Amino acid sequence: MAKKKNRNVAIIGIGQTEYSSHKEHQNQAEMVNEAVRRALDDARITMDDVDCVMHGNMELFEMVYQPDLWHEIGSGAYGKEEIRITTGGTTGASLVCAADNLVASGMYDVILAIGLEKLQEGHTTGGITNMADPLWFRHLQTGALTGTTAQEMIEEFGEERAKRAAMKYRIMMDKHACLNPRAHRRFGLDYDQMDDLMNTSPKLVGELRLIHMCSQSDGACVLIFASEEKAKKLCKHHPPVWIRDHITVHREETLTNLFGFKKPEMTHRYAARKLFERNRIKDPVKYFDVFEMYDPSAWWGLDWLREFLLLEGDEHLKMLENDEFDMDGKLPVNPSGGVTATNPIGATAMLRPAEAALQIRGDAGEHQVKREVRHALASGFGGTFWTVLIMLEKDLNW
Amino acid sequence: MTEYYGSKLEDIFNTMEERFRPEGAEGVDAVFCYDITGEGGGKWQVTVRGGELKVEKTEGDLEGCSVTITTDPKTFIGVTLGKIDGGEAFSSGKIKVDGDIGLLTNVLPKLFTKYTPPAKDVTAKDIIDTVVERFRPDKAEGVNIIIGYDITGEGGGKWSIIVKDGTCTVKEGLESDCTVTMQMDDKVFVGLNLGLIDGTAAFTSGKVKIEGDMGAAALSAGLFERYRVGVVEGAEELVSLKCVPSIDQRFATGPVMGKWFDGLKEKKFYATKCPKCGRTQIPPREICAVCRVRCRDFVELGPKGTVTLIDDVYYASPDPLTGEVRETPYAGVYIVLDGASEEEAFAHEIKKEDIARIKPGMRVRPVWAEKRIGSYKDLLYFEIDE
Repeated sequence: MAKKKNRNVAIIGIGQTEYSSHKEHQNQAEMVNEAVRRALDDARITMDDVDCVMHGNMELFEMVYQPDLWHEIGSGAYGKEEIRITTGGTTGASLVCAADNLVASGMYDVILAIGLEKLQEGHTTGGITNMADPLWFRHLQTGALTGTTAQEMIEEFGEERAKRAAMKYRIMMDKHACLNPRAHRRFGLDYDQMDDLMNTSPKLVGELRLIHMCSQSDGACVLIFASEEKAKKLCKHHPPVWIRDHITVHREETLTNLFGFKKPEMTHRYAARKLFERNRIKDPVKYFDVFEMYDPSAWWGLDWLREFLLLEGDEHLKMLENDEFDMDGKLPVNPSGGVTATNPIGATAMLRPAEAALQIRGDAGEHQVKREVRHALASGFGGTFWTVLIMLEKDLNW
Repeated sequence: MTEYYGSKLEDIFNTMEERFRPEGAEGVDAVFCYDITGEGGGKWQVTVRGGELKVEKTEGDLEGCSVTITTDPKTFIGVTLGKIDGGEAFSSGKIKVDGDIGLLTNVLPKLFTKYTPPAKDVTAKDIIDTVVERFRPDKAEGVNIIIGYDITGEGGGKWSIIVKDGTCTVKEGLESDCTVTMQMDDKVFVGLNLGLIDGTAAFTSGKVKIEGDMGAAALSAGLFERYRVGVVEGAEELVSLKCVPSIDQRFATGPVMGKWFDGLKEKKFYATKCPKCGRTQIPPREICAVCRVRCRDFVELGPKGTVTLIDDVYYASPDPLTGEVRETPYAGVYIVLDGASEEEAFAHEIKKEDIARIKPGMRVRPVWAEKRIGSYKDLLYFEIDE
């Protein structure tokens, strides 16, 4: 059980590269440097103000072990304390949680955390396959693709409704991505393409089609964290964004016991239940003004909304069908376009709180939601259905 | 014909023969059909069989296609030239693929050298004119040869390149004492120098005839910088490096997984049973993570079971352990084996012939390898139990 924080922690700087399928004009260290510089510029501080650098990506994808050594020429870590975190898909979110803990503990006043990936330089599916235990599951694992959720949703809601909902979700994400100049994939899809795409987009696994699946992107994201005292001193040009709480939930290192006759509680719902309970949030849909969710595919994104928002039955489908997750809906989901648009894996789960923080600051530009954003939720996903949930606040008043 | 990015559809299809790599076509028997719709479009059928290539333009229906690519001219040319991301065009539905997609992702790239737009103004003479400035004295130490070029066709001519004592001179006409003379069409000569045509293939197919010292012909390529079109002075060097790591590994099973693999030899599935909650775990695990206790008791499950979910896989991702690409579709199944606790499914594959019929709730049985050595491969797949 998480205890009350020793002191408050804020995000005071945000830096992102543009995201794309190839970044052949720069190497990894240069890519890291671009995001680091942008974050420092955003916070209007220099490396002299930073006590500790945190670094995270998935070594297995690029097959460069301890890449923080190479990247140091771009990360600014030379002469600083540096901590490296790599937890698969959740890497970026784990970096945020760890930075929050380290600043809250009093260990450091200012931390610069880097999440990055250059998927083009490695083999993502190979990396994911090699994550499974080598004795048995490595032989079964085929990367992160599965059609089981589609199958279950079709079973529960009927083929037509489930397929249309997943495609509507996907097109909505593309519409959001088109508003975000940094997003990797911006197709310009429209809702009248729904029926066509439902049937013509190539199948990957079952009803999981190519269009539903996340991208493989290159890019880096950097966040700068500061203690309350430092944040109030350093943040002159934009308000700090407060990290209220976070939770990380793992499950057993096997997936097959998700698919028996009896389903265990998903980590998504467990994480949400625990986090909202201890923060006395009864209705997350009402409380939060924006949700940046780690949605690796349209099917998963849609299914997980039910879990994260503690909805029942087809409530999440109804909300989607009534446009309530749109930019001006009841709870805007992924104004950035989410993970189906942009997925540099080690940065992906950091992009969620980074984009949520931009929304709270009102600095998201074209993809800024229209209402005032005071409370934001961000999620991370990885491993064998691990979940991280992070709550951000505009005001220090909880 | 409408032009995009400086190329026409014809340019791409008409150069296929020159760009064909017979060594990449070994064992390939496929018909690639291209239905390129819209202004400037057309239909092409590219047949690769027995190491031979046939490219046909057709007005009628595309027939006998192993795979059909439907797109518009702009997308096709853009993707071919690398101006448009192929994966994204495919994802967004601008390219549609019907049939065996593996042929496009895995076979096609090996069949042809990359298409580059026609260098309209480059002639054999242009290339010969830059020979001296492209000469690399550091590579020519002790080299003393005369390379003769007999270039036929419209932009042809005869030239002798004299490399001697670390210097290089070019003379018109063929010297009487050429170390080696190469004869080819000017289009082939330009193609070779631009990297559009594979040298070995051109020689093998008789497009290039070599007289004299073959060794000198092979050596000559290394004496010069590559000919480039429109190189900007002072442009940055952007190089990408390629490497293929391969790591030999050996893993200890420990006694619990050891018991599992031993069981497979005898066609038995051994699961552990939690002493506290009673749930079974398969393959067996050393502890029950829910109860946090050690599981020392084994129970035998199955061998038959009931299917809970099916994953039909159409996308063949290469096996990172072997580099091989599995044949698609194949299907993973989740099975609750007889005697297993209801939340504990076992994952494996279903027999290819049963993929079309398999449904959740169906009964299945394992099919074993004849020779079992205590490995993953001892269990071939499951099949419908009827």
